[in-house]
Amino acid sequence: MCKGMEVKICLIGMGNVGTCFLQLLKEKQDNIRVNFNFNCKLVAIFEYDGALIDNDGIDLDNLLDDITNLRKNQYWISNVKAQDLISTLDIDICIETTPTNPNTGEPALTHIKEALNNKIDVISSNKAPFYLHYKKIQDLAEKMNCLVKFEATVASCVPAISIKKSLIGNTISRIRAILNGTNNYILSRMTTEGISFSVALKEAQELGYAETDPTLDISGYDAAGKLVILSNELLGWSKSIEDVKIKGITKITPHALELAKIDDYVIKHLAIAEENNLIVEPRLVKRDSLLNIQGTLNLIELQTKYAGSIILIGKGAGGFEAASAILNDLISIVKKRRGF
Amino acid sequence: MIYLEVKLPDIPGSLIELIKPISQNGGNIHGVLHHHDKKNNNLIPVDIWFELSEELIEVSLEKIKKGLIEKNIQLIKISVGSKNKMLTFILTGHVFDTDITNTIKRLDSKNIKVLELHAKFTEVDEISSVIMKVEFPEVMTKFELINEIEKICKEKNLFFMRS
Repeated sequence: MCKGMEVKICLIGMGNVGTCFLQLLKEKQDNIRVNFNFNCKLVAIFEYDGALIDNDGIDLDNLLDDITNLRKNQYWISNVKAQDLISTLDIDICIETTPTNPNTGEPALTHIKEALNNKIDVISSNKAPFYLHYKKIQDLAEKMNCLVKFEATVASCVPAISIKKSLIGNTISRIRAILNGTNNYILSRMTTEGISFSVALKEAQELGYAETDPTLDISGYDAAGKLVILSNELLGWSKSIEDVKIKGITKITPHALELAKIDDYVIKHLAIAEENNLIVEPRLVKRDSLLNIQGTLNLIELQTKYAGSIILIGKGAGGFEAASAILNDLISIVKKRRGF
Repeated sequence: MIYLEVKLPDIPGSLIELIKPISQNGGNIHGVLHHHDKKNNNLIPVDIWFELSEELIEVSLEKIKKGLIEKNIQLIKISVGSKNKMLTFILTGHVFDTDITNTIKRLDSKNIKVLELHAKFTEVDEISSVIMKVEFPEVMTKFELINEIEKICKEKNLFFMRS
């Protein structure tokens, strides 16, 4: 796997993240060749209604010139599913970016398992399989001697998961994080403008920061899923989303935010992992605290045993942000396979 | 503040053995309480509370625990309290309709003292919010305090947000 100059990959799901990844791959190809000494050959792209499979490598220039070329290509096969064809492909790495059901993790979960069962390393930007079945996936990967990477699942391009390597000589004792940009935007606006939750939500939707159905965000479920992944990866726990005590932001009122100001507090929606507990809830945070970030930013504070607090801040969503995390994972897998 | 509960043999010098690992690891002792009335099998329950530098709290605590174990001191409980055992929180809901005086009295019955309270509301029977600052007993952990408040909130359907 990934031993030669050529690394063969397939992409499942060519939505925003998948397309951004291909654009980034195209842009970075020369850089990857020069700095990491390998070429990425895209062998297959799977979509919900078929697949483009070309063992000689899909022409990225042609495809990205016009996305509709995907289905016009002579090698396009309609009505086939990724899970049925993964085993037939000669590939090193499977990149999974499909839209996925947050309660079942499907179809991503099946894609991931199918790839691993065929001894193919996996990169995924889908959270649900990992907050629902983290241990099962890791156990399968270990059994099949495969690597699974999912940096994009938490805070996108912010290296929330891969920072573990940099802190290997330390001990992380607690995580406090702001893991949902939509909620942070809504609370920031409610605090600064004194507007109600519903007005702030509507504004976030108009600006494209919140989904038409924002339930997963405002209920805290999205942040809870990310917290599970972070705690399992960074603290070595084995939790799933049922283990998280979750409170959303819908009951926060302008009155509450005004009252918080009396004692120099703001209200932030925090995801906390400490003392074997996982909590996602609104908390009072001092105005001058480093946790008081504004807008759609994400933040991860790691309390370490030997170096105090370490904080990462950055954009937690976006096509190219997630794509760059996927590319990091890809390079990291190739390096690891080559013994670095 | 660190609150430590141990059992010491009722013999001269045992208190010094208890204090050594605490002071050697940066503990600034604030108080010691002997429960002679609870002596059993020649062991006296002793409460001791001390401060540690926030930065090194975990490392120091581990060293203290190790030191106590090496001296065969029976450790009952260690709890880490906030600086001055205070908590600020907001309650949102029908705070007044569900009898705020009763809420305060119930906290008081558990030795949780309300030091400050500010309210915001449009109409008394509408959704309102209060911010409270409470002081809780040295022997009570933050977890126990939160449990007490959450119990009331669940019963009165109030939304609780804390510092």
